Amino acid sequence: MTMALVAEGIHKDFGGVRALRGVSLSLTEGEIVGLIGPNGSGKSTLLNVISGVEKPTAGTVTLDGRRIDGKPSHRIVGWGVAKTHQIPKPFPGMTSGENVTVAALFGSLRRTDLRQASEEATRVLRLVGLEAKAGTLASNLTVQDRKRLELARVIATGARILLLDEVFAGLSAGELREAIELFARIQKELRVGALVVEHVMRAVLTLSHRVVVIEEGRKIAEGTPQEVVRDPAVIEAYLGTEAARAAA
Amino acid sequence: MNFLRFLRPPTIADLRSILKIGPTAWGIAICLLVAAAGAPFVATYPLTILIYLLVFAALAYSMNFITGLTGYVSFGHVVFMGLGAYGWGTVVGTLHWSPLGSVVIGGAVGLLLALGLGIVTLRFRGVYFAIASLVTALAAVNIVLATPALGGGQGIILNLGFEPLSWFYAVWVILAIEVGMTYWVTHGRIGYGLRAIKGDEDAAKTLGIDVTRLKLFVFSLSGLFAGAVGAVNAWTVSGVFPEAAFALLFSLLMLAMVIVGGSGTLLGPLVGAVVVYIPHTYFLTVASGAEFIVIGGLVTFIALVIPEGIVGSLRRYVPILQGILE
Amino acid sequence: MPDATAIVDQLVFGVVYGLLLGCVFALVAHGLNLIWGIAKVVNIAHGEFIMLGAYGAFFLNLGLGFNPLLSAAIDGVIGLGVGLAFYFGILHRELRGKEAMTPRSEMVTLVATFGLSLLIANAAKVAWKGDVVGIPWSAGSVSLGSLQIPTGGVYVAILSVVIIFLTHVFFTRTHLGLAIRAYGQDIPAAQLQGINPTFVSAVGTSLGFAVTMAGGAFLTVLFPTGINPYMGALYAPISYIIVVLGGPGKMWGSLVGGLTLGVILHVGQVFLEPSIAYAVAFLTLIPVLVFRPEGILR
Repeated sequence: MTMALVAEGIHKDFGGVRALRGVSLSLTEGEIVGLIGPNGSGKSTLLNVISGVEKPTAGTVTLDGRRIDGKPSHRIVGWGVAKTHQIPKPFPGMTSGENVTVAALFGSLRRTDLRQASEEATRVLRLVGLEAKAGTLASNLTVQDRKRLELARVIATGARILLLDEVFAGLSAGELREAIELFARIQKELRVGALVVEHVMRAVLTLSHRVVVIEEGRKIAEGTPQEVVRDPAVIEAYLGTEAARAAA
Repeated sequence: MNFLRFLRPPTIADLRSILKIGPTAWGIAICLLVAAAGAPFVATYPLTILIYLLVFAALAYSMNFITGLTGYVSFGHVVFMGLGAYGWGTVVGTLHWSPLGSVVIGGAVGLLLALGLGIVTLRFRGVYFAIASLVTALAAVNIVLATPALGGGQGIILNLGFEPLSWFYAVWVILAIEVGMTYWVTHGRIGYGLRAIKGDEDAAKTLGIDVTRLKLFVFSLSGLFAGAVGAVNAWTVSGVFPEAAFALLFSLLMLAMVIVGGSGTLLGPLVGAVVVYIPHTYFLTVASGAEFIVIGGLVTFIALVIPEGIVGSLRRYVPILQGILE
Repeated sequence: MPDATAIVDQLVFGVVYGLLLGCVFALVAHGLNLIWGIAKVVNIAHGEFIMLGAYGAFFLNLGLGFNPLLSAAIDGVIGLGVGLAFYFGILHRELRGKEAMTPRSEMVTLVATFGLSLLIANAAKVAWKGDVVGIPWSAGSVSLGSLQIPTGGVYVAILSVVIIFLTHVFFTRTHLGLAIRAYGQDIPAAQLQGINPTFVSAVGTSLGFAVTMAGGAFLTVLFPTGINPYMGALYAPISYIIVVLGGPGKMWGSLVGGLTLGVILHVGQVFLEPSIAYAVAFLTLIPVLVFRPEGILR
């Protein structure tokens, strides 16, 4: 049975700031949904609400019909949804292998056998191309490797739906190409669902089955990458009214 | 944490894990066994020195469970010792239970107190937890001093015999259990979870770790052992006296031992206990207070220069020892 | 009815004395507050520096006959130097080149200052013996209705508030003060404005220690017979509680927290035994941390 995540009417206020004003979206296992929008539009906030880091002011998030909004993040991970951090947060005193082992032990698969968990960790590290650095202390990894480690960790939790927060940011052209290929390969092999928050257009447009556009806390467009890119509301949000008129 | 799985008959896998027990653990086990076997033959005075060394070590291991493994600095840890001692003193004095058996009561008091305190204070971040724990310890002293049922300022005076061997074995058992539990915790799944919490608590939550439950678990363990040791300590002086039982001194010593020895390691608390015990005993007769100049200086130096403590730093800077020392 | 008036009298005295005490506690906590707010460091040895300030007043009185008010000023100047030494000895290594205080650095300074507190308190004990000493100085007392209030207490309370006010002026109206506050809020942003982080945090720390030591001297006026090497163990927790009550880094927080604690302590002692009053006052920290961790002040 494929896992389905549905967020409905999500509002989130921070004091006086209304970060999300009634956003709804859904995604299923196996689908890659891109989430784009100008800076400050609320994309990361939405990820935080879905993953349990924040509680929505209003609205619901359900996973296969079960309400998960407002639940503690560790339980949401247990149910199969895991999020990466925009700025990687590795466990500094542990090696890459150990970092991923933690995820394998405490993720949704709740392994109790250390040896099995380490083996799973090695498998996942190989999948993301970090197996050579398995013994390196996480604090000694490059930024690009730390991002891969973030990805490895959420994969190792056994999550069926990944929430990726700007994993493609700050990469050179060559690194970006590699990362896109890597992610496409991983997704094909694992058949997970992913909600990908991104600014790097090439990554989003290449990888996504569907794209959702958010501006100032509201959804302004949704469709295939091709449709969304031509949507006048989207062009206006990014480039202003002049450009939208020019494109029409 | 499913404890029922320990009730099944041993398998080949268990034997294999016994063979994997490292040299450090064997080393500690051998030292403990030698001490246990030799105790009856040691003269009284050296025996009491040994007893208090074991007390120090037991306190260090208790502190290691919370501060060493999670990084949460507990300044008020002495409150578990003190109330454990009071629990013990009350059942021995009023109900006339056996002093040896009642050590378990001391442990139980420590456990329950840690559970209760932990539920409230473990949700606070590092620094605030430290202050909250300090404040609780001070409040506890004051409350006890004002409670006549607990003997008020006088405490509980008992007339128990001089039984150094019983004291020795009581604290030995506590220490042995602690070392065993430290080994089990650091080598299992829980150990990974704790290291993750110590590394980055927020990230740990996002990977499925029930941070609150884990912290509460180790905090309760540390309270349990501190309470039991507090009871034995009171037994050695045949009474429970408020200033002595709740002396902030103990908290400071426990913290110093863990930091000096190496937080979170198996050998660290033992090394820390020895290193702290030597100046403590030496200066006790010469110039009380002076030992803390040495200990304080050592702690400051280690915190700034080699924060992993003696054992942790040896592992880091002497690669050959990485496989041996833990 | 004599009983009622006696209780009212005691209450009034409790409140008044609590406020006076609270002002001085506030000053003593203010130093901690400054360092906590600027360098984001909690100094576990805070109590020991209070103790040093008190002993400073004691020795200056013993040797040169200075009264504690004058000694406080001298202590303040010494505190500047001590603060600099503390900064370059401990804080600089952790803060240098960093954008913010990491949790690891927080723990390192927590532990390092813990070691320092052991060292200083016991070095004092060995050097000056553990006897409790006092300063034989009194400015008489003033009458408030039927109550006698020590004039010295009034002086130091007023001076404490003045000093806190002066620091407030410094931090809101001078260039340097604003620079220090900017550093306290966002280190990289402050650097981009041309603020030298080392200079600014060193100055902030020195100020904090100056205030702390002066506060220690003031305390001897209210507690003329309570000077001993371990007095830090009493005043440090009081300071932590005050800072948390008022809100770490909030300028007026020290005063709000101090007055609150002072009044709770003294009014508490009207109805409860001193030990319990202290216990209750200490335990107020917990509900504050649970329900309002940023402090009473919004």
